[in-house]
Amino acid sequence: MQKLNLTRLVVMLFVLTLLVAGCAKKPVVEETAVTEQPIQEQVLQQQPAVIEEQPVDEAAAEAARAAARIAAAEAAADKALSGLMRIYFDFDQYVLTDAAKQQLAMNAGLLKAAPTVNVQIEGHCDERGSDEYNLALGEKRALATSSYLVSLGVSAGRVSIISYGEEIPLDPAKTEAAWAKNRRAEFNARR
Amino acid sequence: MKIVRAILAAAVLYFFYAGSAAAVRIEISAPGEQTIPLAITSLLPMGAVQAGVAEEFQQVLGNDLDLSGLFDLVDPEAFLGDAQKLTLHSTQVDFGQWRMLGAEVLIKGGYRFEAGKLTVELRLYDVISRRLLTGRRYIGTPADVRRIAHTFADQILLSLTGESGPFNSRIAYISKRTGRKELYLMDVDGHQRLRLTDHRSIVLNPDFSPTRKELIFTSYDKGNPDLYRKEIYTGRESRLSLKPGLNIGGRYSPDGREVALTLSKDKNSEIYLLGTDGTIHRRLTNHYGIDVDPSWSPDGHKIAFVSDRRGNPNIFIVDIHTLEVNRLTYEGKYNATPAWSPKKDRIVFARLEGSEFNLFSIRSDGSDERQLTFGPGSKEHPRWSPDGRFLIYSLDRGGEKSIWIMRADGTGARKISTKGGHDTHPAWSARW
Repeated sequence: MQKLNLTRLVVMLFVLTLLVAGCAKKPVVEETAVTEQPIQEQVLQQQPAVIEEQPVDEAAAEAARAAARIAAAEAAADKALSGLMRIYFDFDQYVLTDAAKQQLAMNAGLLKAAPTVNVQIEGHCDERGSDEYNLALGEKRALATSSYLVSLGVSAGRVSIISYGEEIPLDPAKTEAAWAKNRRAEFNARR
Repeated sequence: MKIVRAILAAAVLYFFYAGSAAAVRIEISAPGEQTIPLAITSLLPMGAVQAGVAEEFQQVLGNDLDLSGLFDLVDPEAFLGDAQKLTLHSTQVDFGQWRMLGAEVLIKGGYRFEAGKLTVELRLYDVISRRLLTGRRYIGTPADVRRIAHTFADQILLSLTGESGPFNSRIAYISKRTGRKELYLMDVDGHQRLRLTDHRSIVLNPDFSPTRKELIFTSYDKGNPDLYRKEIYTGRESRLSLKPGLNIGGRYSPDGREVALTLSKDKNSEIYLLGTDGTIHRRLTNHYGIDVDPSWSPDGHKIAFVSDRRGNPNIFIVDIHTLEVNRLTYEGKYNATPAWSPKKDRIVFARLEGSEFNLFSIRSDGSDERQLTFGPGSKEHPRWSPDGRFLIYSLDRGGEKSIWIMRADGTGARKISTKGGHDTHPAWSARW
């Protein structure tokens, strides 16, 4: 309703303007004699005060946008920090299983969305096997994991590796279930 | 003419003497093959009686000699009057008594405390020939009783076999007593424990320098598994190898001039030789598989190591000059941690069957494989004593990890670490 009134007002004003303009067009013929000496107008006095010029920009908006961007990156980073899931390996193997590859695809997605996050991949083994061999095996697991992430588009410079062999088991029990849990690659994400 | 006769007489005398000396030297290099009936008498006071000295000495010496497997101890209950007499000269000993008890060798001795000093006189007699085999006087502080007993045990083995015992040496090992894996030192019988590192990280797999009082080991102290070197008496510590990736399994060469270890700086584990300044002298393996766990041959020309280049982990031998690689083990599915005897042509290793390791030994040509350990629990990390008579290893059984010593043939196994220590990865020093 209000919008309608406004439109009406604008139309009326327009019409009124046309009318006034029409009146003004009437020719005024009579010329008066030009006075030789024009009246000096007091221009100086009428000069307006110095113009104040102020830059107008959208700093606040920019800042807000930047904050939003940072917040989004933080959120992505948080998501990557909490969302990167460990993967598991078969006994004495460092070949990625299909399940591991699926998990790595998700991890790669999280990492690509969070470019501020670097990740250290830790390779781990179960306690069976010799300590030294397991350190080498854990490194092979970390390397296989790292190469797969890089092949999925994660920048190689963001990924580092370390092997802990059988030194840091998730579950110290001597059962098949515990060993399966311990043969893994962990993602240690850092902003 | 007179001179010639004198020389001849001297020569005859010399040969007679040498011959009789050879006769008393009893040929036993492998433990358990032949045992000598031995009587160990209690140390007698040569002055004031000091409580505990004789008992402690007896316990340490008896334990060492029992572990050696070379002796049959004569029951002290049966001892006659001579056991109570301080006889530091062979002419004073009533050998007839000892012969009656079936003893062939006899240990007698006495001690004296004077001005804060402990003096121990010790004699080893051959009962049959009624001769002194070895006599020693040890002077130390009252705290040196154990050390004196170990040293005399080594002397007894030297006297009877021509090869000194390994009892006056040290064992380095890894323990989790503080909650973190740190490096420790102890005597061969598990006494005098001492923690050497405070890295509060992960410390792994020590090895002694054969020539200096120095250890190498791997630690994650600076975030990467680097190889460290530590001087035992000064405590001075530095990083010997800090290449990206693994710097593990360091082993000094028999002459102490090089260190074999595993590096993975090129994204794959290979065996290298380092100088003692940390520079790489030579790369010994070149294979995309895992190559770890080097162990030197006694002549320093070959290195046994573990590789999965033919599928499962097995033991191979590389010639460090030609780099020719030969496979050593074919039995079993998982063979690891080789340890080459410093004296004999034998390599001990651990074989994984199911979820447990047992120790085996094999000749370096792959023949004569023998199983050394049996029964429940996982036995790993075998290492030799410097005289090649004994093996030390870790046992993981019933949730406890402990360190054990046995003879090279697998007999006489005994635990030397104390309860609840989570002790692993022993290494045996040279004679101290």
